[in-house]
Amino acid sequence: MVKRRDFIKWAGASGIGFAAGAFDMLAMAEETSAAFVPVIPTNTGIKGNVVVIGGGMAGATAAKYLRYWGGTGVTVTLIERDATYASNIMSNLVLNGSRTMSSLQYGYGKLASSYGVKIVKGDVVAIDPVGRSVTLGSGTRYAYDRLVIAPGVDFDVLPGLETATAQAKVPHAWKAGPQTTTLRNMITAMPTNGSGVFVMTIPAKPYRCPPGPYERACVVADWLKRNRPGSKVIVLDANPEIIAEKHSFEEGFALHGIEYRPNTTVLSVDASTMTLDTNNGKVPGAVLNVIPPHRAGKVITANGLADADGKWTSVDVLSYEAKLAPGIHVIGDASATTQPKAGHIANQEAKVCADAILRMFSGRALDQAPVTNSACYSPITFETASWLTVTFAYDPVSKTMLPVPASAGEASARSKDNFEEMNKWFTALMGDTFA
Amino acid sequence: MKQGKIMRALVLALAVSPAFAQTTTTAPPSGRLLASNCFQCHGTNGSGGLERLAGESVSEIYNELKEMQRKSPPKMMDMHARGYTDAQIRLIADYLSKQR
Repeated sequence: MVKRRDFIKWAGASGIGFAAGAFDMLAMAEETSAAFVPVIPTNTGIKGNVVVIGGGMAGATAAKYLRYWGGTGVTVTLIERDATYASNIMSNLVLNGSRTMSSLQYGYGKLASSYGVKIVKGDVVAIDPVGRSVTLGSGTRYAYDRLVIAPGVDFDVLPGLETATAQAKVPHAWKAGPQTTTLRNMITAMPTNGSGVFVMTIPAKPYRCPPGPYERACVVADWLKRNRPGSKVIVLDANPEIIAEKHSFEEGFALHGIEYRPNTTVLSVDASTMTLDTNNGKVPGAVLNVIPPHRAGKVITANGLADADGKWTSVDVLSYEAKLAPGIHVIGDASATTQPKAGHIANQEAKVCADAILRMFSGRALDQAPVTNSACYSPITFETASWLTVTFAYDPVSKTMLPVPASAGEASARSKDNFEEMNKWFTALMGDTFA
Repeated sequence: MKQGKIMRALVLALAVSPAFAQTTTTAPPSGRLLASNCFQCHGTNGSGGLERLAGESVSEIYNELKEMQRKSPPKMMDMHARGYTDAQIRLIADYLSKQR
């Protein structure tokens, strides 16, 4: 008997080329999400007023599920400065030309029309945790019963990268957007005689998307190998070893001839001579892609909500309420937890947070055994990918989310099947977040 | 300094904020938060994505997850299934089977 799941797998792999396959899958996914019509319940009896700051993977998911699970008695206002969200997930595939930045934009229309989330475009300039309100640059004030902050990450300014000119010459492209396009253009401008060197740097953990930089090195090296043969890719990693999907990336680095230098930290950048100064000497390059160390988005650090280290906010992972700021929940990359900083798990943290807030509004005990999971696919070449997954379960002794050892693993080998599954995963994840 | 100021203010706020009253609200269905881990790849409420799960029978979902826990070499979903206890799998299967 052919099981439905297997049939779908075979059908998806039936000899269609990469481009056609990707488009077919996108069309299929759109049909699927179009068929899903959410009903916002009117009878939960739950009442409350939530303001969400930041419409990325965490913030958008929290806004959606507060309404979808909480119903019409829960007012949700999502404050976001941009008209659309540019997905970091898949943005490395802009660098090899297989995706465009415009294909990675997600709007807030469905959150408004299907879920009744109030979308406010603006920048938060002040938070009043006592009076429970936030104020925008426009001067408009929004009161809240519970505040959810999901600003993502901000970047340290490395010596030599203080000016806009220097930043334009040495982009991080670690927040998908104009810098992603800039980096793509720098890669295509590398010399055709193969004399160019692409240097990228990885900060010490924690940073956003642990496998992401290694994935980027592979995708760029793969493109250069086929389009600028002879070019070199050097990875300078502040960490002592590859920190995610070690097996897959060691194979990928060997396949592409990537030079990997662990324990190498950038001390300063000279954009005029295109040279990095590191603890292991100077490294010049035709393209310098420096990913600086991260901290939580500015709304956290500017409002005194970061821990003593000034970087992240410690939270109770049963609710994501900040340990030192009652009424304020911090989800996604900005919170300090044992979980990785990445879009997929941010979506699940948001659901735990939404569920907790709704329980608080109705005077119920919090779920004492939440489970989250991190999962992702990483392209190794333009047509193959690996994967990584782990679930986290709440540990009442340490009061942290601990990985479930049996659930932690990576792909045994890169494959085209994984690449096709990656496209379906991405479409479904974005649908669960924005539609 | 700023942080200290906010913290002092918050402690004050805590002291005066009213306790949430017990209300006649609908209890969240058990299994919903657990099953929402599935929504990331299978659509909100298991509505689609890689495969529709909403409305499958309890035994179909339960047996398939148990089978995945034993599958070797594991693919991603086989690995993921290993992250849940038997009781959690029952809750997930029960919740998804009731979705339409």
